[in-house]
Amino acid sequence: MELPGTHRAAFLFLKNEYLPTPDISTTPATRMSKQILKELPELVRANVISEETAQRIADHYNAQPNPSTNRLLIVFSILGGLLVSMGLVLIVAHNWDELPKGIKLLVGLFPMLVAQAVCGYIVIKNIPSRAWREGCGVFLCFAIALSISIVGQVYNIEGNFGRFLMVWMLLTLPVVYVLRSPATAMLYIVGVTWYACEVGYFSYFSMGVLPWKYWPMLLLILPFCYTEFLLKGVKTNFYYFISWLFTLSITVCLGCFESNNDEVVVITYMSLFSAFVILSQMKMFETNRVLTNAFLVVGSLGIMGLLLMLSFDWYWDELASLSTEGVKLYFALSIEFYFAMIFTVLAATLLVLLLRRKPMAEVNLKVFAFLLFIALFVLGKESPVAAQLSVNLVVLVFAIYTIRDGALKNHLGILNYGLLIITALIICRFFDTDFSFVVRGLLFIGVGAGFFAANLYMIRKRKQSA
Amino acid sequence: MKTFVIILFVFMCAAQWLVPAKMIYDSEGVVLNGTVYKFRTQPIDPSDPFRGKYITLSFSENHVEAEPGDKWYEGEEAYVTFTTDSAGFAIPASISRNPPASGPYLHTKTLYPDFQEGPVPIELPFDRFYLEESKASEAEKVYWEAQRDSAQVAYGVVRIGAGKAVLTDVMINDRSIVEVVKALNESPE
Repeated sequence: MELPGTHRAAFLFLKNEYLPTPDISTTPATRMSKQILKELPELVRANVISEETAQRIADHYNAQPNPSTNRLLIVFSILGGLLVSMGLVLIVAHNWDELPKGIKLLVGLFPMLVAQAVCGYIVIKNIPSRAWREGCGVFLCFAIALSISIVGQVYNIEGNFGRFLMVWMLLTLPVVYVLRSPATAMLYIVGVTWYACEVGYFSYFSMGVLPWKYWPMLLLILPFCYTEFLLKGVKTNFYYFISWLFTLSITVCLGCFESNNDEVVVITYMSLFSAFVILSQMKMFETNRVLTNAFLVVGSLGIMGLLLMLSFDWYWDELASLSTEGVKLYFALSIEFYFAMIFTVLAATLLVLLLRRKPMAEVNLKVFAFLLFIALFVLGKESPVAAQLSVNLVVLVFAIYTIRDGALKNHLGILNYGLLIITALIICRFFDTDFSFVVRGLLFIGVGAGFFAANLYMIRKRKQSA
Repeated sequence: MKTFVIILFVFMCAAQWLVPAKMIYDSEGVVLNGTVYKFRTQPIDPSDPFRGKYITLSFSENHVEAEPGDKWYEGEEAYVTFTTDSAGFAIPASISRNPPASGPYLHTKTLYPDFQEGPVPIELPFDRFYLEESKASEAEKVYWEAQRDSAQVAYGVVRIGAGKAVLTDVMINDRSIVEVVKALNESPE
């Protein structure tokens, strides 16, 4: 017999309050399973599941390892490895004058021996513990730096810091694969980026020298990322960190290969950011949250930043001032041109692959940014004013598209990002247009009202659907 | 798979030992068999994030006369031989693009020539002398004291072998800078 709604609620309330709580032994694991385990007695009391089923559910969760404890252990082992090894680096850097050369060398090389011994034990015994692997990987990484440094210090070898970083990272790379340690992979990406910046940006003596080895060194880490995360389809926090480091590394280091052809470099960057957005749209790289998708965030922000920069007239005036012959020579001889070619071909190939698998309607509009920009580049050579106006239009279209996208996905962050793009565009135009103060004022009021209205609309929509 | 990882591990360990071992082997070879030269110098005191405090030496004899008509550009690889002046300090003697058949020489790079002819500036890759961190700034003070007193002379002792060079000591008036600083620290104020 079905009880009416109010009676049923009263019945459940009384049953829950006065009937004894079923005795189910639980040791909560994750936050989600904790919630489920908490609900079990209630479900038993409400006769939704039997006591036996409840016990089986509890047993199932209890049998699982506790990931939050694991995660904490991994974090502490990485931190421990980092702190101990960096502490050793500092102690050795003190340069103990009293110690004879041989002892100094032994002290400096000993941490590497210890780290290798632990690493060997992990490999031979096939110990799966992530905490051990991460801690050992991080420690070995710094022990390698220590071993090279101590020899340099003892023999007063001046060395070249860029080369030191390169050798250090090349010796660290196998550690990533042997221990399958994402934390060491993160250090490797940071080290490789440091190497490129040292050679390309910082070092006075390597002016004119390009950090070519950066590219193969960065590519060498990709098989690890593929087999560890993408092939398994497992996207852990390590994956998010590595993808952030990877995208930022390329974004920063691409500038090392620019000497004085800014005009062409913009094509390279536009193609790179478009390639990032294209990758973010592929199933393999999709994540649940926007912020964890580094390809999408870096790509989208990069495209919008570049377009906003290009909405000023200086770039187009500079481009127009180059004679056609000059441009041809520029193109034929510059490294920037070859980079622009490579990245554009890469982005185009990825775009074709994406469009084969996804219908056009589902694809983020920013994936076409690089094609649009190439068209604008050609147009800008003939008519800078038309190109500049078109860029403004493109920014506006992207902004409206982003707002629409945010509304469709019911995502306040994306919606406000679109509104922010419009605001940024108006702020840029605030400085270089002849609009009267009244018009500018009205524009700002309009956008402010837009912010308010769009957010209100979204919140109301959410309430309605709730 | 496990066998592959073990093989990779063995190669990894070998490579990680090979780099410092090669550095030690090369340097020891120069220290044991190289010819000693004294380079007049002026130290200053920076530090290195990995290797600690050091004094940087700035050598006055860092130009070499090239053969007439022999043009050198920035960043070229060069082989430089040295001789000594009447006071016993090293001066670069010759520069060439090929290593000399015999005798000690330094494998280095040219710096920024002002003119394509005339003395060629060369990089002397032994301008760091590592010191215990408490002594590095003290050593610099000692050096500046020496500079004020024109009778005192500072120089680096460098051993040069076949292409490589190792800086073994920095001397102030024929006493090691380490000893000078140690004596200063031990003597009452």
